Amino acid sequence: MSVAKSLPHDAAPLHVTGTARYVDDIPLPANTLHLAFGLSEVAHGEIVSVDLDAVWAAPGVITVLTAADLPHENDVSPAPLPEPMLAVDTVHYVGQPIFLVVATSHLAARKAAKLGRIDIKPLPALFSVDEAMAADSRFEDGPRIYSKGDAAQAISQSPHILEGSIEMGGQEHFYLEGQAAAAMPQEGGDMIVYSSTQHPTEIQHKVAHALGTHMNAVRVETRRMGGGFGGKESQGNALAVSCAVAASITGKPCKMRYDRDDDMIITGKRHDFRIDYRVGFDDEGRISGVEFLQLCRCGWSIDLSLPVADRAMLHADNAYAIPNMRVESHRLKTNTQSATAYRGFGGPQGMLGIERVLDHVAHAIGRDPMEVRRLNYYRDMGDTGPGTGQRFGGKHSPNAEDIGPETTHYGMPVEDFVLHGMTEALVEKSDYFRRKAAVSEWNASHATLKKGIALSPVKFGISFTLTHLNQAGALVHVYQDGSIHMNHGGTEMGQGLFQKVAQVAAARFGVGAEQVKITATDTAKVPNTSATAASSGSDLNGMAVQAACDTIRARLASFVAERAGTDPADVRFEDGAVHVGNQALPFEDVVSDAYLARISLSSTGFYATPKVAWDRIKGEGRPFFYFSYGVAVTEVVVDTLTGENRILRADILHDCGASLNPAIDIGQIEGGYVQGAGWLTTEELIWDSEGRLRTHAPSTYKIPACSDRPDIFNVSLWDGENREKTVYRSKAVGEPPFMLGISAHCALSDAVAACGAGYPDLNAPATAEEVLASIGRARS
Amino acid sequence: MYETTYHKAGNVAEAASLLAAAEDGQLLAGGQTLIPTMKARLAAPSDLVDISGASDMRGITVNVSAVTIGAMMTHAEVAANADLFAICPALSNLAARIGDPAVRNRGTLGGSLANNDPAADYPAAMLSLDATVVTNTREIAADAFFTGLFETALAEGEIITGVSFTAPGKAAYQKFPNPASRYAMCGVFVSVGPSGPRVAVTGAGADGVFRATEIETALQAKLDPHAIDKVSLDAKAMLSDLHGDGAYRANLVKVMTKRAVAALD
Amino acid sequence: MSAIAVSTTINGDEVEFLCQAEETLLDVLRERLGLTGAKEGCGTGDCGACSVMVDGRLVCACLVLGAEAEGRSIETIEGMANGDELHPLQTKFLEHAALQCGVCTPGFLVAAKALLDANPDPTEEEIRFWLAGNLCRCTGYDKIVRAVQDAAQELRGS
Repeated sequence: MSVAKSLPHDAAPLHVTGTARYVDDIPLPANTLHLAFGLSEVAHGEIVSVDLDAVWAAPGVITVLTAADLPHENDVSPAPLPEPMLAVDTVHYVGQPIFLVVATSHLAARKAAKLGRIDIKPLPALFSVDEAMAADSRFEDGPRIYSKGDAAQAISQSPHILEGSIEMGGQEHFYLEGQAAAAMPQEGGDMIVYSSTQHPTEIQHKVAHALGTHMNAVRVETRRMGGGFGGKESQGNALAVSCAVAASITGKPCKMRYDRDDDMIITGKRHDFRIDYRVGFDDEGRISGVEFLQLCRCGWSIDLSLPVADRAMLHADNAYAIPNMRVESHRLKTNTQSATAYRGFGGPQGMLGIERVLDHVAHAIGRDPMEVRRLNYYRDMGDTGPGTGQRFGGKHSPNAEDIGPETTHYGMPVEDFVLHGMTEALVEKSDYFRRKAAVSEWNASHATLKKGIALSPVKFGISFTLTHLNQAGALVHVYQDGSIHMNHGGTEMGQGLFQKVAQVAAARFGVGAEQVKITATDTAKVPNTSATAASSGSDLNGMAVQAACDTIRARLASFVAERAGTDPADVRFEDGAVHVGNQALPFEDVVSDAYLARISLSSTGFYATPKVAWDRIKGEGRPFFYFSYGVAVTEVVVDTLTGENRILRADILHDCGASLNPAIDIGQIEGGYVQGAGWLTTEELIWDSEGRLRTHAPSTYKIPACSDRPDIFNVSLWDGENREKTVYRSKAVGEPPFMLGISAHCALSDAVAACGAGYPDLNAPATAEEVLASIGRARS
Repeated sequence: MYETTYHKAGNVAEAASLLAAAEDGQLLAGGQTLIPTMKARLAAPSDLVDISGASDMRGITVNVSAVTIGAMMTHAEVAANADLFAICPALSNLAARIGDPAVRNRGTLGGSLANNDPAADYPAAMLSLDATVVTNTREIAADAFFTGLFETALAEGEIITGVSFTAPGKAAYQKFPNPASRYAMCGVFVSVGPSGPRVAVTGAGADGVFRATEIETALQAKLDPHAIDKVSLDAKAMLSDLHGDGAYRANLVKVMTKRAVAALD
Repeated sequence: MSAIAVSTTINGDEVEFLCQAEETLLDVLRERLGLTGAKEGCGTGDCGACSVMVDGRLVCACLVLGAEAEGRSIETIEGMANGDELHPLQTKFLEHAALQCGVCTPGFLVAAKALLDANPDPTEEEIRFWLAGNLCRCTGYDKIVRAVQDAAQELRGS
């Protein structure tokens, strides 16, 4: 069967020969025009005057548009609240687009865009969460609060109480392919848009509004992105809309791509947070109550900030059954880029908060943080599946109250908790105890270089928390020669979705994956799709494709069964053949016969995730279909004279359920871990006092490079299957491994703690300078 | 905004005359700074004079301890030169750690010196080695050559053709690279010649590359890492920027100096 | 604007093109010659996505002027395979799943080939430091390093 096979990424042969096409590589007519935005240089202010004479006069300029020149809606928001594409009256951050240049070349457009003379009367600007709190500058009326039990009382009655705070920076996506879009005007005002987007349907929706037309007049195609990571969920809207509007006005194809510095200055990033905590616990480190205050810096526009901040709250427990918990979340509006979706979508921030608490508690009582983590884990549910004798509701079943699932602080039972077994296995596999002892020994005998080791778990909720988004469609054709054409609403950004879903299609028909043609995501083929986000790509689209395939398969089965006088239920599709009775008919022959018999060989498929129901205002319900789990052990070394640090070894055990493609899933885990570790170590975003982003190029913003690869990097998959009925019992893998990188931060904290008796209070990112400062805190 | 004219010079004299004839001319050596700068400013010089073909600006000679290096030698070529490595491995190692392989294949010694980026590696080496910067019109001692951030003693139209120096008895370079750009957050070149230790620091000074005279004095007394324990560096004289503040850099200067002294070879 | 006529060799073929003085080699390859395998990841020589070889030396095409290609020999990703026969590095990138979104892949392959041409038996550390000028945001680099090690071994015939 073609599932559970480590087949290469579907486009790998194109990638290694340099022939895979991204938006900027698509050949366009020679008369294509190129676009660039003129940007605000002021963080907050009223636009007094806009003088674009020099822009108009610049070589190659065809036209220049301001908000007033847009023919219809000036809105690129993914949320109900509007977000103007071009500033109207007021600017809200340095980098906000004010006008749009349409020119004969990319360079001409960029040069001209620098020539605008915008007179802006500055207004007071808010940059930090403290400034925004003081000014009550926020989205929503007040904070959201999710709680369980009485945290304040539980803490006050605890033998030990600790308070603390951790700051965690944002993160630039740094997808290697920058934002890009192109639009080709069609007859009758229709528009075709090529967009590097995770959300073609939203592009279609926004373009339709901007053109004053209906969605049926706009077709959006996305073959692939050069990386997305959440950064292309909403941030591509402005480019696609610009291209469509300019193409509509000029009647010519239009293309827009951001240069790297524009991309970093204009687009949103991961939300930075400050999380304050208060925790009560006993002598063993068992936590009785936690209170979190989450201050989330959202930037100037709402974008996806509400669900991001919600998800941070929903992951404030991570893997721990905390009987009393209160999470208060403030979504603060500031004069900075509008923070947006980024792999984990708030989950990493919430999770880092509780992992910091666990480390702090362990430090306070002098226990191994790994043991304190295990002590606080949710109840083990690893052995409650069918056949284990521990099913509930049966005559001899145990009481669910004794061994049943514990619930989260938002009331969802944790029915699939497997981290006890996974932790045990990784502790063994990574030789944790011996290495922990070796690290202590090293630290006792070395003054300059200190080592640290830490284990951290991940429990990540899978589903869109906006319940209606948990749906997907697919379109499958079988042609009369037996070849299969597959299409679905998911987009390919390198994560291997297309290959995994093609393997599902091939498995349904019992043919090789090479027989399935993977085609570009196209709003004209599958409508009303959700973003490829929330790790849901394979779960949703795999099931939709399976449904479409099964419809066709059922028709073929009925056809051959009737012909052979057998029951359709006995027909099997395996090894390239259709097995009926004791005959094995080549798949191609059955298809060709079915065509001649006038049987439809095309079908749509649809899937809606079951079980999910969630009230985000009350903070109650089941936002997630299931949880994905992982655990990592990281060892680091720190130079105590400079703060320089390095990951020496990482061991990971991750739960992909029954993996659809182990090679692709392991690739996601490795890449996720490294990106997560990058977020917490070297990736530092710095704004100056005027609100200008100073780190807007790879020469100032440091993502992990090949030389930062851990010397030893062991990744393996947990041998299990999803207890929920997902596609072939697999689990989502896009986001969860990102948070395994938290173990790197915990390990750095452990190394720093070896320098003195104090608690290091290590913030993120733990740059060399921050590590050196925290060494000072540990020593004082 | 200018439109740029591109010229190719076969030798120094030709480059000088092309430059003199240009309204706002600019030499193009390896282009690793000039081309991104042109892109960032979205403006360009009136004339670009490509000196990659200037044959009289190339070569490395080592005569006993007298070393000369042509200005158009790339970092990779300097790093790979066996004669230089035999007599001054500290400089070879410095060149081998500039940027990444693509930068080292294009970037040149002369370009680095003329640009005098406050975080570039070569200026520290030249200053520590008491090198002479040779131009098409004169010779300039390194102590007089570097005059401030991105500022040098070069006159309008003057072209660096190479450098010369006497290889020291011992030398070492230690650098704390900026993790993103690989430029020095702090780089310390220590050399010990007949006149004693010379210590030059790049990446850390508020005014660019400088000689750490207090450290030199301490090392003159005793050539040992701990000799500088009591030297205190003024954080205010250090560069404070988004990559690190003055106090952090002052700390790095001492740490890197100690490591360089320990590594003297 | 007066264009500059440039004669050069690209992947073994003699090529002539016209370009402006400030056009980079990357602009020329992508926009004038339709060779879009080299990508613009940053435009400042910091990401390696535009890696090509000029006269046998690895460079960032975004930091070389098109005019500088005169009389030189350029090699790009499009010339790495011999017809339909992939270079061992390309094969190993496929086998090791050493790519995800693929934008960095051509640059990594060109840079890795430059390394193996000069040093057929690099250590793991030499590979990591040589490739440090090529950024990948997806893979975490582990499979890339393994693929290069494996290709090196195959090229050495051992």
